[in-house]
Amino acid sequence: MQWSYKILGPGCGLVWLAAQILYAQSPSFELSSSHPKEDPSGQVNHAEPVEQLIARKCINCHGGEKPSGDVDLSRPSVIARDDNGRVELATSRLWEVVRDDLMPPEHPLSADEKAVLREWIERGAPNEFEPINPFRFTTDHRAGFDWWALQPIIEPTVPSIVDKTRIRTSIDRFLFPELLEHGLSFSPDAEPRHQIRRLYFDLIGLPPPPEVIEKFAKQPTDAAYSAIVDELLDMPEYGERWARHWLDIVRYGESDGFERNGPRRESWRYRDWVIDAINQDLPFNEFARRQIAGDVLCEDPVEGVVATGFLVAGVHNTVVGASKSMQLLARQDELEDLVGAIGQTFIGLTFNCARCHDHKFDPVTQLEYYRLVAALADVNHGVRTVRSRMDTVLIEELTQKIVYLEREIAGLEEPARQQILNRRRAGSMPLSPGPQPIASWSFDTGLENTPEMLGVKVVGDAHLTSAGLQLDGEGDFAITEPLAFELKEKTLEAWVQLDDLDQRGGAVISVETDDGVAFDAIVFGEQEPRRWMAGSDGFSRTESFGGSLETTGDEVVHMAITYASDGRITAFRNGEPYGTSYVSSKLRAYPTSSARILFGLRHSPGGGNRYFKGAIRRAKLHDRALSPAEVAASAGVENNYVSPVELTSELSSESAAQRWKWVAEKEQFFVERSKLETDSLIASYTAVSNPPGETFFLPRGDVLSPGAVVLPGTTAAIASLSASFELDATADAAQRRVQLARWLTDDQNPLFRRVLVNRLWHYHFGRGLIATPSDFGFNGGLPSHPALLDWLATELKHDGYRIKPLHRLIVNSTAYRQSSLLDDRAQSQDAESRWLWRKTPTRLDAEVVRDSILMISGKLNSARGGPGYEDVAIIDQNNGTTYYQSFDRDDFLLDRRTLYRFTPRGGRSALLDGLDCPDPSTATPRRSVTTTPLQALSLLNNDFMIRMSESFADRAKSNFAQELDGQIGWMFQMAVGRLPTEEELVAARELALAHGTSAVGRALFNCNEFMIVQ
Amino acid sequence: MLNKLDRRQWLHWGAQGLGATAFLQLLLRDPSLRGQDTHESAHGPFPNFPPKAKRAIQICLVGGMSHLDSLDFKPALEKFHGKSLDSSEQPDIFFGQVGLIRKHDWEFRQRGQSGLWISELFPQIAELADELTIIKSLVSDSANHTPALFFANSGFQFNGFPSVGSWLSYGLGSINESLPDYVVLPDLRGGPNGGSSNWTNGFLPARHQGVVFESGPQPVRDLFPSQPIDARTEADTREFLRLLNERHLEDSRREELFASRIRSYELAARMQLSVPDVVDISDESAATRTLYGLDQDRTRDAAMRCLLGRRLLERGVRFVQIFSGGPIAGSPRCSWDAHENVLENHMAEAQKIDQPVAALLRDLKQRGLLADTLVLFTTEFGRTPFTQSSADSVGTGRDHNRYGFSSWMAGAGLKPGVTFGNTDEIGWKAVENPVTWNDFHATLLHLFGIDHKQLTYYHNGTQRRLTNVHGDVIRQILS
Repeated sequence: MQWSYKILGPGCGLVWLAAQILYAQSPSFELSSSHPKEDPSGQVNHAEPVEQLIARKCINCHGGEKPSGDVDLSRPSVIARDDNGRVELATSRLWEVVRDDLMPPEHPLSADEKAVLREWIERGAPNEFEPINPFRFTTDHRAGFDWWALQPIIEPTVPSIVDKTRIRTSIDRFLFPELLEHGLSFSPDAEPRHQIRRLYFDLIGLPPPPEVIEKFAKQPTDAAYSAIVDELLDMPEYGERWARHWLDIVRYGESDGFERNGPRRESWRYRDWVIDAINQDLPFNEFARRQIAGDVLCEDPVEGVVATGFLVAGVHNTVVGASKSMQLLARQDELEDLVGAIGQTFIGLTFNCARCHDHKFDPVTQLEYYRLVAALADVNHGVRTVRSRMDTVLIEELTQKIVYLEREIAGLEEPARQQILNRRRAGSMPLSPGPQPIASWSFDTGLENTPEMLGVKVVGDAHLTSAGLQLDGEGDFAITEPLAFELKEKTLEAWVQLDDLDQRGGAVISVETDDGVAFDAIVFGEQEPRRWMAGSDGFSRTESFGGSLETTGDEVVHMAITYASDGRITAFRNGEPYGTSYVSSKLRAYPTSSARILFGLRHSPGGGNRYFKGAIRRAKLHDRALSPAEVAASAGVENNYVSPVELTSELSSESAAQRWKWVAEKEQFFVERSKLETDSLIASYTAVSNPPGETFFLPRGDVLSPGAVVLPGTTAAIASLSASFELDATADAAQRRVQLARWLTDDQNPLFRRVLVNRLWHYHFGRGLIATPSDFGFNGGLPSHPALLDWLATELKHDGYRIKPLHRLIVNSTAYRQSSLLDDRAQSQDAESRWLWRKTPTRLDAEVVRDSILMISGKLNSARGGPGYEDVAIIDQNNGTTYYQSFDRDDFLLDRRTLYRFTPRGGRSALLDGLDCPDPSTATPRRSVTTTPLQALSLLNNDFMIRMSESFADRAKSNFAQELDGQIGWMFQMAVGRLPTEEELVAARELALAHGTSAVGRALFNCNEFMIVQ
Repeated sequence: MLNKLDRRQWLHWGAQGLGATAFLQLLLRDPSLRGQDTHESAHGPFPNFPPKAKRAIQICLVGGMSHLDSLDFKPALEKFHGKSLDSSEQPDIFFGQVGLIRKHDWEFRQRGQSGLWISELFPQIAELADELTIIKSLVSDSANHTPALFFANSGFQFNGFPSVGSWLSYGLGSINESLPDYVVLPDLRGGPNGGSSNWTNGFLPARHQGVVFESGPQPVRDLFPSQPIDARTEADTREFLRLLNERHLEDSRREELFASRIRSYELAARMQLSVPDVVDISDESAATRTLYGLDQDRTRDAAMRCLLGRRLLERGVRFVQIFSGGPIAGSPRCSWDAHENVLENHMAEAQKIDQPVAALLRDLKQRGLLADTLVLFTTEFGRTPFTQSSADSVGTGRDHNRYGFSSWMAGAGLKPGVTFGNTDEIGWKAVENPVTWNDFHATLLHLFGIDHKQLTYYHNGTQRRLTNVHGDVIRQILS
């Protein structure tokens, strides 16, 4: 039924009508009868219902919270009454102002419309429809629930065409009748070289090799053409080209923005994920779901966690200031960015406009905005470090091998161990000396016993006596040299005598980073009086052991704390377990050369309650978590620890050899596992899920006066789907996003598919069927080809939400392949080629310009993925603002595709900037294309351009030695896909002879035929 | 000598020499290619009403100038000096330290016929009090530099919104064919916090962005090839390019996009001619140089930029923005951000700009330009009446104050020699006629003949305005 729309035209006042006629087939859509006058079918006219008339014409002013003149026409039956409460036409003030054209001001009702109102008043102004929901109907000023884009997609019938000469794909069938209707037709097919240039730039963002053009020009068949299409869609460069579009849409930038604007070093993982997903043609609904809730939905943690980088691709205020209100406000700003990004990216609704009041143009309430906030409230900016499932499995396998070997070794050792223990119990053998530490300190016998690599320096009045290192608790401590090894798993041990049982927070032994920011320590009395604890920075790895209280300072106590790789922390007092162990958040690693051991000071710098008062007799450091038996042995108390030396001497030489072999194997697996544990970790800038807490409705968006608690949910504007997530206010954070992702990508969500296919159309034709790709609300207007839009959306579903089939449909169409040449007659009919009588020429995108020039000049570094190249100097002002100063340098590492540019916000490049490459501070669903003198200056004079002109010339010379005409011919082919004309050749030859071939290259890189795809 | 120095700084590409100029003029010989690029500007009927201002120059004081020590005279501060702020509120300042109240560090005097109170911080500007319209009741939404600066420049605290100059360029279009509409002259010590985001075109078309003029080899980036190309080569290359484009234009049945690209190279050539001309101040008299302070080390940077500002305005640039102060962070301070010591910091900063800004005002006036030129002297926020120190001491520095601060305007369409609005007894908060940046911007656009509610651009779901959904024109200060 698309003809109805055409006849009515795009006038705003008729929007509701067009929508209702177009979507009249929709069963779930509550339809009123069609308009009386303009009905083109000539059928019996039905009057518009009075509630629709009032909604359309009156409620915009006379409705809402503050109805104009206190006349609220959402309840017109009240207003229709006269002063005596009677409804009579003669005395109705409502009728009077309408009849006399006083209302609506400037645009009085038509006679037919007046008749509707009159008839209703005459019937006694029945009020069965009150109150009129102001969102129910689309008006001259805003969209209602009946807005076209919100209606279900009904598969349109593909028009049948008699003359099929210009029909290639179904797309042409939809376009062709419209053209005929406007007295237009498709232009002839474009020149072969233009067709090929279009395909290459469009699909992979790089120029075609001259051979491809030549070959196709010789035999420009449809089959040859579509073979090229298939080839291009399979190239990895395709994903690189189309990922750039997606990154524009999702406001992807690699710095925080705002005041500090610090760089994000781990964002590129998301960029790479997008490229891969597009190259694999991941179904678009899955592509969307993973970006919203991949951390919950994906089995593989890496896949899911990296994909949710979408949620935090925007700016993040890292300098919020001291006041509570500023913190709350900054958080609400961040959530607005997020809610806005999700609405605009996936379904073309600008939810963000409803933060302080109901949406001014679309049927989205402020309450619904806060429901969406509640659905996303767990999302925070951060870096997550995860490991792929495969690597986790590999690590588990290694662990199993280690466990197996340990069991084998234990089995082999067991008889010998028992014999040793038996002899020990019989008193015929001394206690085991305990495991070998990596460093130890015997303060009671002097510092000479300390291994050299960890020499100790004494600070303050600390001094050595026969009781050990004497510390006064007021500034005394000792410090070692930096650790010459990386410390991960560890055991801290000390023999210590307390001089003050009521001291609160001194440490006996501590390992800390140089700056004192991170530390692990044996601390006394800090959180609980008279108890030991495992001190750590910000108590991040500290919990109570609940061990015994110290009651006397008269004896030496042996304290040990072990830190295992899984984060488990266990304490021992005099060789016995001290309270209960616990698993802390994560084991802290201390890097080589920037960590050290402290005695008597919790962490640097000194001060406060950080000093220990007492004597430290001896101390030991191990680079692993000792077993209970080992700790007991070290403590010198009765135990069943048997050292390897003791064991080997007890075993037969054969068994001893077997044991060493197994131990060596185990060590090998151990090393492998630890390497894999480190190497397999993937750090990604992405959404960190924190407990969301309650979300409140904020009247007028004011953070300081919150209203009621809001449940997670979404808008009711899409009638085919439930707006409730059926979750309560305390629902699991992750479930909220899963529900949102499902709602957005549901087959019944018409916007999801319409928005996507329109984006594809936009990038292929330079303008979407809806001109605002991220706004399908009232401001987006009406589609130029509604049936085609819905047909494409249906195809998308048939194709399992894969995008490559749609590319094929589009680029194989006559509409796409036709010429871009002007035609005076068509031009006068349809200057903007809204009906697609020609393909509009498009200027190359900034990235495509740079990439193509690199490629033509033989300089393109095609390395894919990984951290971006940096063509900016990063100047960090003492943790204040970060400045990004772009530079150009002849450097292979910088000559990668522009997609891989490190893209900080505000860190723009002169060349790209001039060609409308957007700053990633906001989303750019549609780039502007401008032509400015600054752009011309950049293309002429930028260092990069001069450098590339020279490389281009060098390449020509190396291909064609001394033959100048050959060089020039080849340069033309590379840049514009054809040989020069005689006139051009003569001029180029002259230029090259006088000023070098690079001058020809420079001109070619600036010429329209290169810069514009026809 | 002085002339030579200036030329070295601003005309480093002298290697191109006269040959370059000659070829550029050659390029311009074809009259059919003249004309300017007019698309990508606002569609509305701008100006909406007869404008008072045709152009504006803004001196943007980065870091937060103390209104209490400059434009907002508070005798009560002497009485309260050493007392504590009698309030239980936790003020939204930056470092959160609320010390005792400190009196102004400069003497205030009444000036001129108007009797405006201006301190000795700006002795030369003070002499021109009768030209100034001082707003003493500005307020901002943020007490952090970057958002506050963005707010002052674009009406929004966030990155990515078009700045005032871009909106003017978009709304009114170009009044010259050879220079940008909007020129930015950053402090020699570096760009302000947020860098180019302060003069971004945001979502407006790129041609409306602020174009930075710098001293050094290339006043405008990529104005000339960085490695010298001799004039003959340049001319022949451009001629060849023109041949390619002309033939192509004919073949394409004169496609508008192609024609406009050809014109843009034309305009680029014009710019290559006019920029060197505008930055070459050798034609300025000795008296003018002395007036601006080009002969003193302390004032030279600001003097050069103020003088350049006047030259740009004369040649049809719509909006010139001069920054006083570089990056916020760093030591020693190179902006107005006087956390440590207002006396030392503001003295040093004021001495750099007092004479050049006063000279600019005098010069514009004597050339008759002040009648339709606006001069704006603004800062992102003021400073606190109490010092940034422990609660029981009078320190020497002041923290950020977004609740009340001062700026001045002068020139086209304004009532001269008046003040508007006021802060409380100690200059802590605006209590009389508070003025937001939205109001300020609405007034600015009004002076240019633009109804701030009508100057809009569609972006991501809404018709955006410089003034967001706020802003009232301050009619009381209009002449």
